[in-house]
Amino acid sequence: MNKVMFFAHLRDKVGKECLLIEASGKTVAELKAEITKEYSLDKMDTVMTAINEEFAGNEEIIQDEDVIAFIPPVSGG
Amino acid sequence: MKDRYSRQTLFPGIGKKGQEKISQKHVLIIGAGALGSGNAEVLTRAGAGKITLIDRDYVEESNLQRQQLYTEEDVWEKLPKAAAAKKRLNAINSDVEIISIIGDATPEVLEDQIKGIDVIIDATDNFETRMAINDISQKYNVPWIYGACVGSFGMSFTIIPGKTPCLNCLLRTIPMQGMTCDTGGIISPAVQMVIAHQTAEALKILAEDYESLRNSFVSFDLWRNQYTSMKMSKAKFSGCLSCGDNRTYPYLDRDSMTKTMLLCGRDTVQIRPPVTGEISLEQLAGQLSTLGYKVKGNPYLLSVEMEKERMVIFKDGRALIHGTKDLTHAKSIYQRILG
Repeated sequence: MNKVMFFAHLRDKVGKECLLIEASGKTVAELKAEITKEYSLDKMDTVMTAINEEFAGNEEIIQDEDVIAFIPPVSGG
Repeated sequence: MKDRYSRQTLFPGIGKKGQEKISQKHVLIIGAGALGSGNAEVLTRAGAGKITLIDRDYVEESNLQRQQLYTEEDVWEKLPKAAAAKKRLNAINSDVEIISIIGDATPEVLEDQIKGIDVIIDATDNFETRMAINDISQKYNVPWIYGACVGSFGMSFTIIPGKTPCLNCLLRTIPMQGMTCDTGGIISPAVQMVIAHQTAEALKILAEDYESLRNSFVSFDLWRNQYTSMKMSKAKFSGCLSCGDNRTYPYLDRDSMTKTMLLCGRDTVQIRPPVTGEISLEQLAGQLSTLGYKVKGNPYLLSVEMEKERMVIFKDGRALIHGTKDLTHAKSIYQRILG
């Protein structure tokens, strides 16, 4: 199982700070697509992903027990 | 004033040597809104040698809740932020030379100002300018410190050319519809937390204590009590057009910029974003009406009544701003809503 955490407006959209999802073997891009569909989110192309607190690209493959965080870049200042 | 910096030089990370270095350095701050005000005040009090501030807006009432350099008088006088900030910063510390530039931080302006700059602080409200700062930083080998916030959420990352990945490595493209303070609201503590992260890193760079720089990308939510620090050692992208081997600095190119055009005889400015894509008009309409704007729409466009102007936004990101002939002002309104 994988713990998937959401930040900023993604957290509001999903309605929870984190979810438990079986994502091992999937790429980051696949997980993004799945979540986008399930929670009718906007495209997550530019949302940054951390796996176990380390930046991960869209092609990276998720392992069992990995903790994933989705962090949307924001532009206010 | 001999005692002025005594508490800062007592701090071992800086010391007398570090203070001497800080006093000889030149900081470029892009934007004089919430992050710009706070960064400028901290670094002016800390005794930086010179600070150049660039901003295109004037002070409005809705700024006062978080933009710490401004007063009600500045609102009545409709002072440009760069001018109001300079007045206040000079009163805080007359040793620091403050250079204020009233205008848009276009790639041309950045190229003109970059000479002699030791660090660039990002205090803008849009990704287009950030990508231009990112390219300038790589081209002239000057570090910059990304900072942004919305709601109770904020983030920061220090970009050192040749060492860390750059913003283009992380995003690969300009995000469409990034949340802004005009769509998601903002509380002052989130601003202050970003300022604290940016200015601590700036002081390390100015005092030349590069070993102590943070290396990780921080983000936090002060209302939801989340804090995360993301390691970035694997984030550098070799094919990056801003910092990779075959770099072209794409965001210094005129074609990559938002185009503004005055429509003849109509008191209207047209805005075209650099990347076209689909924006979710429904979602934007929802956000804007929650904030009290009068919004009307159909599947093709959204019309938003603002205080003086009316903005019509099309699905591909193009917009018409009715009721102004000022290109810079129109672009500012657009980027406040669409990021």
